[in-house]
Amino acid sequence: MAALIPSASATGSGTMTLAGPSTNSNQTVTIPDATGTMMVSGNMPAFSAYASGNQSISNATFTKLQFNTEEFDTANCFDNATNYRFTPTVAGYYQVNGAVLFGAITSANSFVGIYKNGSRFKDGSGSSTVASYSYMSVSALVYLNGSTDYVELYCYQSSGSAQNTQVSTPANPYFQAAMIRGA
Amino acid sequence: MMLYDKIKTLYPQLTDHDFMTVITLQNDSDGKGDYIAKWEHPTLARPTEEQLA
Repeated sequence: MAALIPSASATGSGTMTLAGPSTNSNQTVTIPDATGTMMVSGNMPAFSAYASGNQSISNATFTKLQFNTEEFDTANCFDNATNYRFTPTVAGYYQVNGAVLFGAITSANSFVGIYKNGSRFKDGSGSSTVASYSYMSVSALVYLNGSTDYVELYCYQSSGSAQNTQVSTPANPYFQAAMIRGA
Repeated sequence: MMLYDKIKTLYPQLTDHDFMTVITLQNDSDGKGDYIAKWEHPTLARPTEEQLA
């Protein structure tokens, strides 16, 4: 039988409490046969934000999208006022999603992409010429170091002239990220 | 005139593909406008500030 050996933290002085279930049912937690940091909701940052206004995107210019309305931001890691970036305070692997909506656009080169630390990192799906509305989205896994790394969402379109994003709150445009695994 | 249009006026031979690969125009939505974030074209020189003014 394996032994459970409580170990004091090298830095903190807090008390660790294992609380029983709130019902009379017995519950079992199985610890995996691996070493690592156990992730709980309190140390797994997640956010979701959307844009509440149209934004002009210059022709053939990667333009940062501004998401000024938060739906949730569990660890206060998303800046929805100045830089529109997600800088999580816990190192790990994050699922990052984003989408943008345009009106009619006559271009074969339009997409939304994830920037990491100010540089183009992962491009999303593109859009061909459409007569009505054009949805573009991106989804990728990104490692973030929990201190200086950040992600932003940029949009690109080459229709030949500036185009305004279309807003249908809270459905579009949106930007989200959530930790899926610790470092 | 937008930055893209100024560059295309200087170098009409540039293609959409160039602006997706070896040239990056960028706007960080910080009020500073469009700028050249990357210029790695193999034969055409990066435009000077004077040429873009």
